[in-house]
Amino acid sequence: MELIGNILYDTIYHSAPIILCVIGGIFAYKANVLNIALEGMMLNGAFVSVLVTYLTGSVTVAILAAIVTTLLFGLVFSCLGITCKGNVIVIGLGINLIVPAIADFVLKRMEIANISLQNVSVADFKLHIPLVENIPLIGKILSGHPIITYFAFIGILFFTVLMYKTKFGIYIRVVGENEDSAISLGIKTERYKYAAVLIGAFCCALAGINLSMERMAMFTNNMTAGRGFIAIAAIYCGQGNPVASALYAILFGVARALSINLSVYAGPVSGLFDIIPYIIMVTVLAVVSYTKYKNVKVRGFKLD
Amino acid sequence: MKKKWKKVMGLLLMGTLVMGSIAGCGESKEKSKGASGNSEVKIAIVCDSAGQNDNGYNQSAVAGVKKAAKELGVEYKVVEPTTGVPQALETLAEDGYHLIFNLEYDFEALISGTGGSKPIAEMYPDTTFVCFNDNPNKNESGEIIHENVISVLFDVHEASFVSGVLATLVNENAETLFGTEHYKFTPVDKGGRAIGFIGGTNSNGITVFSYGFLEGINYIAKELGVHYDYYAKYDAGFSDSATGGTVAGTYYNQGANVVFSVAGSVGDGAAAKAKEEGKLAIHVDANKDAQQSGYILTSVIKNTEVPVYEIIQAAVDGKISDMDRVQSYSLASKATSITDLSEISKFVTDEGQTKWEEIKAKVSAIEKQICDGTIKVINAQNGEELDASALENVTIK
Repeated sequence: MELIGNILYDTIYHSAPIILCVIGGIFAYKANVLNIALEGMMLNGAFVSVLVTYLTGSVTVAILAAIVTTLLFGLVFSCLGITCKGNVIVIGLGINLIVPAIADFVLKRMEIANISLQNVSVADFKLHIPLVENIPLIGKILSGHPIITYFAFIGILFFTVLMYKTKFGIYIRVVGENEDSAISLGIKTERYKYAAVLIGAFCCALAGINLSMERMAMFTNNMTAGRGFIAIAAIYCGQGNPVASALYAILFGVARALSINLSVYAGPVSGLFDIIPYIIMVTVLAVVSYTKYKNVKVRGFKLD
Repeated sequence: MKKKWKKVMGLLLMGTLVMGSIAGCGESKEKSKGASGNSEVKIAIVCDSAGQNDNGYNQSAVAGVKKAAKELGVEYKVVEPTTGVPQALETLAEDGYHLIFNLEYDFEALISGTGGSKPIAEMYPDTTFVCFNDNPNKNESGEIIHENVISVLFDVHEASFVSGVLATLVNENAETLFGTEHYKFTPVDKGGRAIGFIGGTNSNGITVFSYGFLEGINYIAKELGVHYDYYAKYDAGFSDSATGGTVAGTYYNQGANVVFSVAGSVGDGAAAKAKEEGKLAIHVDANKDAQQSGYILTSVIKNTEVPVYEIIQAAVDGKISDMDRVQSYSLASKATSITDLSEISKFVTDEGQTKWEEIKAKVSAIEKQICDGTIKVINAQNGEELDASALENVTIK
């Protein structure tokens, strides 16, 4: 019983940052500006939040700084990719490369290998929900996570509503589906694309803060370890639907939790669980693209 | 007008490229002048990806060369390669460096040559190359390939054995030593007789730590007549610190009070988890005890300063060709050991002081026994295999 509890708790733990990246990334995906810089933006959030806490000692300032700097990266991305019509893949790649390089440079200048916050205790970030906490099993799984983890799960609902029930969401989708019609309707398409990318940047900043500060109170370079790319895969598998994409993100969380928790019983073999989501994703992507191109309705690139 | 711009841009880009290739392997030039002895020997150190400020492995090698520069008057250069180790080695050898230390685990181009070119060691026979952590300089029948390559191996299994001894002794007396105010140890009679190990990858370089550690635990468990569980994961990777945190968390949940990680940044995550859980972690490579002060029991150190200095000295004295081509640095040489425990000592309670002194005395007694050969530890680096059934008092999960 306790094992199941641990597995579910770890599932939530490992899913949260991926879910945040997913729900942030789907807007850009729907607006047809694929944001592959999720990884870099998340790392930036992780790095800046810990660095600023280390330098100033204030968690609030750190969180603000992390969000602002990540939004700046979002602006750089949108400015180059949308206003200047650059290739978004190349720009995204650039951001993914420059963030760890900056972090590496700063760490080198500070002559330390990683930043570890001595005065911050991760226990302080954990939210213990009264009542829920006391329910056996469920209480232990649902309670005791840092606050951004809860944001991630509430975010799934919030962004579903935002995307399907509001004018903003509809406009974003129209911009992505058919930019010409959107322009003909007088929608300021660039503005919506900017908004989509910036929402993504904001969520990635939160994911980064969640990963580094709230969980570990430390930063090690490249600690995002490909989570941003997993998020992109999840977005593709879920076809940009917040709930479906988030489910794929959770799938990764489950696999990671299984591989770690079962290693106590099964030894290193349990690492095989890590492979399952990749197999599922490859299969899903293959099936999706097959069915999609069967009745050809290619949208995608337009040469202008 | 436009054409002119293109030309200017082209020139600029070309300039950058040229600068880049020049700067490629010349990040920090540090030459010492006016030292006591004036030796003609030129030394270079090629750092690994952690860089020279890693507070350990690379940094202590640099400390070794600095010491040599001061005392023996050698000229030196520290390089953090940006365009790959092989190119750095070649450039340095071309520049006339006599002795080149390669801290990175990258020997292919040096020993066998890549891309159809001759091995670097063969191209520069007057230069001595030093490799760390492995002995790549032998062919299938075990003969030396290049006379100008020295391999340095650290007997980390011995230091790991000592850390296993320490971990077990501390685990048995955890509450006496550290109190219960800041720590939440699982009592030994309630499943606390468990110890965890996290490795980055399943290779001899990692298992050498694990096996030594295991034997150390077994040694004490046998002496005390108790039984331990050993949790191990060998595929945690080296960069995902969050995973390290959860893996360690799982072990701590299972009752383990000490987790030893040999997995780079993943170990940092495990140490952060130790602080969160109020338990202990053991770190590796450098003295990282202060990283999570009070929650890192000790670190198993590879002190590269010792071999670097010794080899430079041999080179200055002109005796380098007499040296054995494989240099093994044991616990006795002080090139590998556990830390002096000064950081964790600050957290031992007043009531625990006598016990702590007792434990430290026991640990150093065992260190001596290893040094004089009374205790033999399995060395996975040489391909020795661990016989799990021989460890009567430890169950590997």
